[in-house]
Amino acid sequence: MDVASEKRLREEEALIEKNVLVTTIDKALNWARGHSFWPVTLGLACCAIEMMATGGPRYDISRFGYEVFRASPRQADVMIVAGTCTRKMAPLLRRIYDQMPEPKWVIAMGSCANAGGPFVDSYSMLAGVDKILPVDVYIPGCPPRPESLIYGLLQLQYKVSNPAKVRLMRHGK
Amino acid sequence: MSIKETEELILNMGPQHPSMHGLFRMVVHLEGETITKLEPKIGYLHRGMEKLAESRTYAQFIPYTDRLDYLASPHNNWAYVQTVEKLMGVEIPERAEYLRVIFGELARIASHQVMIASTALDMAGWSAWSYAFRDRERICDMYEMTAGSRLTVNIMRIGGMSAEPPEEFWPALKSFLDDTPEMLEEYYGIFFGNEIALGRLKNVGILSKEMAENLSITGPVLRASGVNYDVRKAEPYSIYDRFDFKVPVRTGCDSYDRTIIRMDEIVESIKIIKQAVRDIPEGPVMAKVPKVIKPPAGEVYHRVENPKGELGFYIVSDGTTKPSRVRIRPATFINLQMLPIVALGWKIQDVVAIFATLDAVLGEVDK
Amino acid sequence: MENNELLKRQVEELASRVNGEVEESFGVLVLTVKAPYITETLTAAKQFAEVPCDFLHDLCGLDQVDHFEVVYQLSSLRGPQKLRVKALLNRENPVVDSVTRIWQGANYLEREAYDMFGIIFKGHPNLKRIYMWDDFEGYPLRKDYVTEPIEVRNIVRQRIEGE
Repeated sequence: MDVASEKRLREEEALIEKNVLVTTIDKALNWARGHSFWPVTLGLACCAIEMMATGGPRYDISRFGYEVFRASPRQADVMIVAGTCTRKMAPLLRRIYDQMPEPKWVIAMGSCANAGGPFVDSYSMLAGVDKILPVDVYIPGCPPRPESLIYGLLQLQYKVSNPAKVRLMRHGK
Repeated sequence: MSIKETEELILNMGPQHPSMHGLFRMVVHLEGETITKLEPKIGYLHRGMEKLAESRTYAQFIPYTDRLDYLASPHNNWAYVQTVEKLMGVEIPERAEYLRVIFGELARIASHQVMIASTALDMAGWSAWSYAFRDRERICDMYEMTAGSRLTVNIMRIGGMSAEPPEEFWPALKSFLDDTPEMLEEYYGIFFGNEIALGRLKNVGILSKEMAENLSITGPVLRASGVNYDVRKAEPYSIYDRFDFKVPVRTGCDSYDRTIIRMDEIVESIKIIKQAVRDIPEGPVMAKVPKVIKPPAGEVYHRVENPKGELGFYIVSDGTTKPSRVRIRPATFINLQMLPIVALGWKIQDVVAIFATLDAVLGEVDK
Repeated sequence: MENNELLKRQVEELASRVNGEVEESFGVLVLTVKAPYITETLTAAKQFAEVPCDFLHDLCGLDQVDHFEVVYQLSSLRGPQKLRVKALLNRENPVVDSVTRIWQGANYLEREAYDMFGIIFKGHPNLKRIYMWDDFEGYPLRKDYVTEPIEVRNIVRQRIEGE
């Protein structure tokens, strides 16, 4: 082999190393899922206004790729439960969750969705949506600031892209 | 070709629906696209505030009032604390009264901005929505400087204000007031000058004057039907008798007037704030009230002009530290009664617009 | 001031006709009547000469332990007059005439009072629960209502078809 062709071969190899990525399909899928959540607009109460502000011009959630708020649960993969869930609403909330396609995640935004908040001892309150849904990320606050919501979504992104790590963390390792 | 009769279609909108502002559900009976019957169903956000009030002390209930009409939380605080003050006979310092007016009117502007934004959004006007939200953030900043919170501010106390605004509040307020004419110009251009918006709002959803009075409707919706009635003028509470402002009245009775009257109100609110900033005296912001609030036995009803209508509090005290009954008269809950009557005969897409012009906040409707 | 005296005179006249009592609290006249007289009272109040109390401001229930009250806050869009009318109801059998024929705006307010106190408004066009779901048991704003423990509240109710 002459020097010129060997040089060309080496250059090609370097080019391949630079531009081709080898990974597992799982990893690639998780990466894509974590970076483009489509939340379902489930504004229940006060927190919904902060959720709207997060989508608004100042906080601009689309910087992270989460701006595709879908009205239909069938097109969404993350549910942001923003606000108070009452006993009257609970079966309908569960139904909306059931209508979402897999894989799906739930974010409980605000104290009411976390654990009932200031209304916990009321006759019409469900004390936390985790009684009916599996919640992935809890965001405290009454209502949480838009920054908190973005941080919560980034936490969910971390959880989705690194399933193994999160599993280890949960077992205290 | 003759049109054959169609079968009646029952359509269920909500509670989770993009054009419902929160958890509102309506069952619509349709013939073709025309509405023959409409049944609003509410209560999906009923949190039982009136019952909770009976197990809280008077001061503990103030944060709950924030969560009634969460777009204008200082107003709710104001209505509640004034009712308790009336019951106790507390005089509050001048400076606190002026600050209450400033925050109250700022809240009115913020609430009307969200109303314009959401009306635009219901007609798929994303740009108008983002303009209004951009400007609303500046009001949220001013809340945050003073109270530390953006939305549910909990800024008023029985006997005054929770805090004196910091130094940077006044320049921020001034620059906001200076920018408002330009801001309103933008809304006019992008939303009220829009052909689609005009077509969908003008002469749609007529609410006559007699009907409005009979239905106990209050606030901008009443004034858009040609009734000149505003609690700030009719029965001036706080220090509203000192300011020079007009009550905007429109006589169109349609969706368009119900929307654009909020723009007129923003202009008047700015006038009031400017006068308040000019006249505000120095002094304390909190009166001397006892640590344990124990009003004498009795009952009092007090109402204020909320951005959405009249918000009333009826408190019955039995002389202990907890109220015996707190009745909240929510403005939009009563205004909502017009929807099944006004919507009859209109197309399904018009109902969305009519509902948007009511500016219903479900936190207040359901309590 | 003249307005107030005019109102006071007419309210007292009305009170003698319907066996009511008049008192004043924080500058507002309060007229207390027995439940059967309520339609007559409110119709008359709506047609007071010169000071008509023709705007139903609010309607709410009130639990006074030994009896119920329904409180009507009346005012007018054309004057400063204000009147509070209270109807006294029997606790065992809380029935009162509906005022939806006088003011259509009483519709939701009466449904709310029914939902929260179990007060039955005779002649109401659609007396159903408004806030709570239909199979909810008890009337929450009554003083003797006991809030269920959190374990019971966390059991999700059945979804009604159509919701």
